[in-house]
Amino acid sequence: MTTPQTLTRPLAARIANLPDVMERTDSPPIPEGVIDAAIQALKDGKTHYTDRPGILGLRKWVTDMLQKQFNVTLKPDAVTITCGATEARFVIIKRLVKTEGVILCAGDSRVIEGAASLVGATITHEVGDTAGIKLLYATPKDSLETLTPLLEQAKVNGWWVVWDVSQKPPPQSSPASEGGGDTFHPAQDETIASKVISVGSFSDVMPGWRVGWMAGSEMADKLRAYKQSMTICSTSISQWAGMGLTE
Amino acid sequence: MTKNPNDLTTETQSLNPNIPESVRAVAADGTQLRYALMELSATYKDAIALGRGDPDLATPEHILSAVEEAIIQQKTAPTAVAGMPEIREAVAEKFRRENGLPVNAENVMVTTGGQEALYLLMQTLLDPGDEVLVPDPRYTSYDEAIESAGGKMVMIPTDHADAFNLRPEAVEAAITPKTKALLIVTPSNPTGGIVTEERLRGIAEVAIKHNLIVISDEIYEKFVYDNWRHFSIGSLPGMEDRTITLNGFSKTYAMTGFRIGFVAAPKNFIDAMSKVKAITTGPVATISQWAGVAALTGSQAPIEEFHRIYAERRQFMMDGLTAMGLTYSEPRGAFFLWTDCSSIGVHSTELSYLLLKEAQVLIFPGTGFGENWGGYLRISILQTTDLLREALNRMRPVVEKYRAMR
Repeated sequence: MTTPQTLTRPLAARIANLPDVMERTDSPPIPEGVIDAAIQALKDGKTHYTDRPGILGLRKWVTDMLQKQFNVTLKPDAVTITCGATEARFVIIKRLVKTEGVILCAGDSRVIEGAASLVGATITHEVGDTAGIKLLYATPKDSLETLTPLLEQAKVNGWWVVWDVSQKPPPQSSPASEGGGDTFHPAQDETIASKVISVGSFSDVMPGWRVGWMAGSEMADKLRAYKQSMTICSTSISQWAGMGLTE
Repeated sequence: MTKNPNDLTTETQSLNPNIPESVRAVAADGTQLRYALMELSATYKDAIALGRGDPDLATPEHILSAVEEAIIQQKTAPTAVAGMPEIREAVAEKFRRENGLPVNAENVMVTTGGQEALYLLMQTLLDPGDEVLVPDPRYTSYDEAIESAGGKMVMIPTDHADAFNLRPEAVEAAITPKTKALLIVTPSNPTGGIVTEERLRGIAEVAIKHNLIVISDEIYEKFVYDNWRHFSIGSLPGMEDRTITLNGFSKTYAMTGFRIGFVAAPKNFIDAMSKVKAITTGPVATISQWAGVAALTGSQAPIEEFHRIYAERRQFMMDGLTAMGLTYSEPRGAFFLWTDCSSIGVHSTELSYLLLKEAQVLIFPGTGFGENWGGYLRISILQTTDLLREALNRMRPVVEKYRAMR
């Protein structure tokens, strides 16, 4: 192809300043259970669309995990399986923050900078003027000392809260003093639970399979509908492979 | 029930109050209406689904074997967002060989299904207020992609008498200073029409004259019937740098669950789209990319067999609908019969509900594909001939009953 004539009708302005995203290339060994489950799914002909929210077994695993690890109770209907945590984060920011909205980030914002830029939202690390803030993004890497007042602000101002458990603290952290750790979850506070969306993924163990999830909040149905408008459902064999991991 | 047969575009508020609220509430949103009907259908035992465009045939064996081999060999690491080199080259080769597009690997990328391709390209292309010309009726999932990018759809009329072919003069008449792109879907979902080569040549002239970008959705290209043939507008002189060609594996190879589509466009556009994809969903699952490589480089004999099966079903369904006194647009391609149900005298949203309730057959109403199509149904042929026969047998008394009540 030659010099694109399309440049006479330029690409969307939102494209101009998108940050580059670090691409993963690592490939940890695949556990036997994942291999067996994926091959069995191929043999069973599970190569067509899954249910739009994702296969029920995987959604149940998410709710069981949230219950067991965080004492947070959700129904599988509130869970949507996504194409990695990346899709979950983008859908949430696109649907709940929107153009010119502000995301308050408790700590490391690198994994949401691209989504915020594409949507036309901004990220702040300071509460300062709360006008425009729509969402608090937090992860188990963030310290409870930082989080606690931010969650109080979220409660007062009606912000959405994303608790991204795909961003895990380093193993040496002490949950009590360093970060949210393994057991804290904002949805444990019932007064804010309907505003909290949990995000997670299977990427630590199976990064090239693109399996993540988002769960909870009164917007769960609308978030699911938006995901469906982008990718319909997530890769079937990957979802069944994920079941192998959970088992 | 709508009693006036000339009033089939009735406002949704006047629909039969017996229609469940889950359907009524979304009746004005084609995409959500289709999903609501699918969910309702799941509550009926033994419902026959002639709704969704998910091929019922099995994914070809050689594709499954290639995926199994990739898994065993642990070739599952994440790839570059645009896709791994093997699949980008295979897609480029396919586009050169079959579609006459002058592209290399750098001009193509893979996406998480054709629907994501559309979403990404609209995000990459449109600024708020930009207009996109879209043939009416339409697959309404385009709406979300366009509106999410701040774009505005402008409908281009097509009609039954013309087999829903797209007319260059209709395209030109809809152009305004804000028009940025034209969306072509050939073969068409929902009508089964195709845009013929002659018309595409005329449309290309319009696009060049008015500096339009053309988005050509060719996802049903392999399923064209009788003496009709598929033609890619991007192969025409002057079009290669202003055409974004969209295709995928889901329909051709019966592998909707792998979620993999592909796009050809100028390199700068592919690079920009890849940046958007990195932010929105990341790369396509690696196993799906291996499936795609096997699909494109392996035997195409299964596709010829798929075509034979679909052509047979299409004829069977055409005969059955004709026997029922229903007419339809000539289905030149794809998996659907765009059926004129106005002789029954019931608005199509309501008729879909009645067919589900009384015949346990799921068929999407025309209103699932645009608000003006209350006199049409989209009937899919993606079931075995035995099930299609059973569906027709169940539908007949319902159609006769309501036709008699006109």
